[in-house]
Parts: sequence; C-alpha cells; structure tokens
Amino acid sequence: MDSSPQSFLARHDFLIRRLHSLSGLVPVGAYMVVHLVVNASVLESPAAFQKNVYSIHSLGSLLPLVEWAFIFLPLLFHAIIGVVIVGGGMPNSNQYRYGPNYRYTLQRATGMIAFLFIVIHVFHMHGWLHADFWLEKVARPLGGAKFAPYNAASTAGAALQTTVLVVLYLVGMLSCVYHLANGLWTMGITWGVWTSPAAQARASVVCTVFGILLGVVSLGALFGMRAVGQGESLQEAIQIEDRLYHHKVESGELEPNEHKRAAPVHETEGEMAQSQPSESINSQ
Amino acid sequence: MGYHNGMTAPSRVSTQPSSFEVRILRQDAPATAPRWERHRITYEPNLNVISVLQKIATLATTSEGKSTTPVAWDCNCLEEVCGACTMLINGRTRQACSALVDKLLQEDPDGLELRPMSKFPVLRDLVVDRSRMFRALERVRAWIPVDGYGDRGPGPHESQESQQVRYPLSECMTCGCCVEACPQFAKVELRQRSDETDEQFAARKNREYDNSFVGAAAISQAMLFNDHPTGHMNAGERLEALMGPGGIQICGNAQNCVSVCPKEIPLTTSIARAGRQTTVHMLRQFFDR
Ligand code: HEM
Ligand code: SF4
Ligand code: SF4
Ligand code: FES
Repeated sequence: MDSSPQSFLARHDFLIRRLHSLSGLVPVGAYMVVHLVVNASVLESPAAFQKNVYSIHSLGSLLPLVEWAFIFLPLLFHAIIGVVIVGGGMPNSNQYRYGPNYRYTLQRATGMIAFLFIVIHVFHMHGWLHADFWLEKVARPLGGAKFAPYNAASTAGAALQTTVLVVLYLVGMLSCVYHLANGLWTMGITWGVWTSPAAQARASVVCTVFGILLGVVSLGALFGMRAVGQGESLQEAIQIEDRLYHHKVESGELEPNEHKRAAPVHETEGEMAQSQPSESINSQ
Repeated sequence: MGYHNGMTAPSRVSTQPSSFEVRILRQDAPATAPRWERHRITYEPNLNVISVLQKIATLATTSEGKSTTPVAWDCNCLEEVCGACTMLINGRTRQACSALVDKLLQEDPDGLELRPMSKFPVLRDLVVDRSRMFRALERVRAWIPVDGYGDRGPGPHESQESQQVRYPLSECMTCGCCVEACPQFAKVELRQRSDETDEQFAARKNREYDNSFVGAAAISQAMLFNDHPTGHMNAGERLEALMGPGGIQICGNAQNCVSVCPKEIPLTTSIARAGRQTTVHMLRQFFDR
C-alpha cells in the first residue's frame, strides 16, 4: 500500500463530494426555491410580501443563527468545494459537442456566475455586515444595503430600477435556476436514483419542467419587485408597509426598530420619526 | 454538358479527389516536442486509416518531398476489438482500423488529421502508453477470484436477464476512448528520475495512477463483476476502490464517455448504478458499524 500520507481532502474526497452534492439540494437549493417563491409573492401585493417577510423576521434574534447554519455556511461549503471542482475539470464542449457535455460546461459556468451574483446580491440588498459604521460609511455610499425588511417591497423594488442591475439580476437568477435544475438531474445520477437511459431521459424532462417553472417564478419576483419600486405603486407600497409597521408596533406584536425601516426612501418621514415617537405619526 | 450555366453539372457521380492530405502530429520520444507533418496520399476507394498509415510508411516522403521516418502506430485485430489503434482522427477519439476514409472525407474534404490520444503519455508518434487503463482494472478488481484447484462444484446460475445486462459491458476493449473524451480525466505523465530504478519508477507511476480518476471503463467493469453471481461476493471491495481517491466521485456527468464508446457500452448506466451501490455501501458502513 501507499505509505505516503494522502491529504485529508484526498482521503475523504468521496464523502466531501457527496456532501457537496447534497448541500446543493438541501439546504441551499431548497432555500433558493423558498426565497424565490416568497419574493414572487410581491405579485400578489406588496402587503403579502411584507407579511411573508414579517413571518421570517418573527424568528427575531434566532434569525442570524438560522441564516448562518442553514444558508451561509452550507452555501459557502458548496461554493468553495464547487470552485475546487471547477478547477479540476477540463471542459471540452467545443471538441465534443454533445448535449450533456454542454450541460456539464454550463453547470460549471452557472456555478461561477451564481457565486459572483450571490456575493453582489447580498451586498446590494444587505450590505454584507450590519454594523452601523460599515453600513453608513461603506455599504450605502457604494450602492449596497438597499433592502429594509420593514419596507420590504418598496426598498427592494426601488433598488432594481437601473437597466444594469436588471440585467445583472436576470443573468444571476437564471444562472442559479439552471444550476439547480440541472444539478438536480446530475444528482440523481450521482446518488443512483435514475440509472437507465430511459429513466435519465424521463428525469431530464421533470428537471426541465421544474427549471422552467422556477425560472418563471424568478422572473415574476424580479419584475414584480421592479414594478412596485416605481411611480405611484412605490408610494402606495410605502404607505401600506408603514401602516402595517405601525399597526404591528401598536398592537405590541413588534418591537419598534428603525434600522429595519427605509431611511433614504422617505427622508421627510424619517426626520419626523426622529423628532417624535413613530407611533404618534400614525395617530395624527 | 447540356447547359452552359453549369448548374446541372453531375455532382452525384462524385468528384472524388485524386489525392488527399494527411496531417500527422509526430513525436520522436516521450515528453519531447511534437511537430506536424503533411503527407499526400493518392485516393483509392474503401481505404481506412490503417491502410493510409501503411501507404505513408511505404512512401516515407512528406508532401513537401522530404524523406522521413515511418510514422509509428499500434494495431492488432484490425476489426475494432482490441483497441490498440485508438487515436484522435479529425479531433475525435476512435479506432483507426474502423475509420473509413471515404466517410471522413465526406465529413471534412480538407483531408485527415491524426493525433495521438491526449490523455495518455505519448511513446512515439501515434503510439501511447495506456497502462493506466489496465491499472484501473486492477484497482477495481475487475476479475473473479478463484482460489485453489479443488473442484468446488458448479457455480451459481446466471439468469438470462443478468446475462443480457452483462454481455454489453463485457465487450469493453479498454481502448480508452471514454476517458479520452472525459472532461474530468486529466492526463498523468511522469518521467523516470535518474536516481530511480525501473521498479521504483513503476511503483511511483502506479501510485500516481491510483490517486487519479479511475475512468468510466473501470467503473463499468466493476459493475460487470459485481453483477456476476460469484464476483458479487467481492462487491464491497470494488465499491471501496470506487470510493477511494480518484474514484467515482470525480465523474461530473458530462456523459461524453457513453457518446464516444465504440462498443456503445451503457457507461452512464454503469456510472449511475455504481453511484447507487456506493450510496448503499456508504449508508450501510455508517449505520452497520
Ligand atoms: C455559489 C457558487 C456555486 C458554485 C461554484 C457551484 C458549483 C457546483 C458544481 C461545480 C457542481 C457540479 C458538481 C458535480 O457534478 O460533481 C455543482 C453541483 C450542484 N450545485 Fe452548485 N454551485 C454553486 C451554487 C449553487 C447554488 C446556489 C445551488 C442551489 C440553487 C447549487 C446547487 C447544486 C446542485 C443541486 C448540484 C448537483 C450536485 C450533483 O451533481 O450531485 N449550487 N455546483
Ligand atoms: S468503455 Fe468503451 S470507450 Fe471505454 S475503454 Fe471500453 S470500449 Fe473503450
Ligand atoms: S459521465 Fe463521468 S466518466 Fe463519463 S465522460 Fe462524463 S465525467 Fe467522464
Ligand atoms: S486494431 Fe484492434 S481495434 Fe483497431
């Protein structure tokens, strides 16, 4: 036998690859589906989306823990191992022009795009870090941290008005959707769920339909959000969101938290809110 | 010609070229710089690439009229069952003996381009060292162990059904087309060090091979022998090998292997089945220990 010590990674490569495969589906893929469906609820109404956001934020101080355990860490694991996997492959779809080979190359390309997009997206909406200094001096001046959870649809929508950002989100979101749908198909082979060519062909149809549906949901989320973020609908959305907020605060359901509200969008209200307790605005 | 515009000129009766060009990537010895060489061959119907190479050897002259050494290539069976003549013909991995020139010229009238396989060390010209393929068979124990000489009576019965699954897998000729086209299979080429004996070098090479991707052919052979009623008794060992470094986990499901296999072996079915067997094996190991 080999006496030279193999690296830890080489010895556990099989397990790591299986965990990578699994993490792509749960929790990362599952989270992405929920995330897109929740965001698409803005198509129903900004209030519906806002209510969904409130139920997510009802986790309170547990939210960061849940986010790290079930979203960020698994995603980081999948992404870092994914980049290592991409580095180990030699795509040759120019030489061998077969459908599955194009999908292999695309799986890698969309993975890399997803990585970049997610990093940008998390900065654009959340600013990466929640420290006040960082948000005020770095993230906001650079166009990040646009999203305010208690003014969910209006802030997200207002942040998606430029063509550049819409194109970025289109490419990024559709890459993620393709990556998940095709990943689901390869996963079935990796774990041995679909083995025969006929079964793989059937699974391919199912994954394609899933991908198209999820693609529609993601387009709905993007353009639904964007529509809320302009003109009259923006003002309406802000009013609805503020009413919901005050209602919740008044009924004692919610701790007042100006950090989670939109500062820049309604400057004047913000100033008033500083001079008076926010509840009193509502009662006037 | 009946018509002056030439539109109806008989094209069907085939305007076969009187000659065609063959570009060959030549290399004198392992790890030396390769160079292109051009040859012009008189056209004849029903040539295959091996007969083209024989003509080139006879001519021993490049298309520029320079005298040259014969091009080295490998072959045995001349009927696509040994795999020895595998090379890249017009960029595609396949056997030279079954590659028909008429068809190749139809696809690409510019002539032929011959290169050695790119995933194995070149020994000379179109001859490569495919020993990694055979090492991979050893790695996954692609055989049925029979110990001792005593008569142990008739073996287990083989069902018609399993015979039909196994027969296509048994047709593999270890040609290496599947790994040549595989985007996850990286070339491994080592050079003997001056302070190294042949045995030491061979051992180092095997170690290196054993940690690199095992490839579709060996995965499929592991399934062939796991399916065998007697071979099944060692299924766990083969699965362990497939789960080791460079095992089945390296596969990225590009499925080129199944597209290029000249024997049309259902390699991706074997890969998925190996995926299933290793999944079960992994869970069993985890919970049964
Ligand atoms: C963020 C950067 C990401 C990178 C660099 C990346 C990379 C990869 C790579 C290279 C594979 C192929 C693994 C293989 O076939 O061996 C893969 C598979 C997969 N990825 Fe990702 N990925 C990323 C994000 C995502 C996201 C956001 C999702 C979920 C939506 C996801 C879900 C999947 C799934 C389900 C698979 C299939 C695993 C398998 O074939 O067994 N990935 N990823
Ligand atoms: S599986 Fe097919 S391509 Fe691969 S070595 Fe065997 S015969 Fe050749
Ligand atoms: S399916 Fe796996 S073994 Fe076959 S070519 Fe693709 S990556 Fe290689
Ligand atoms: S000579 Fe045996 S396959 Fe071509």
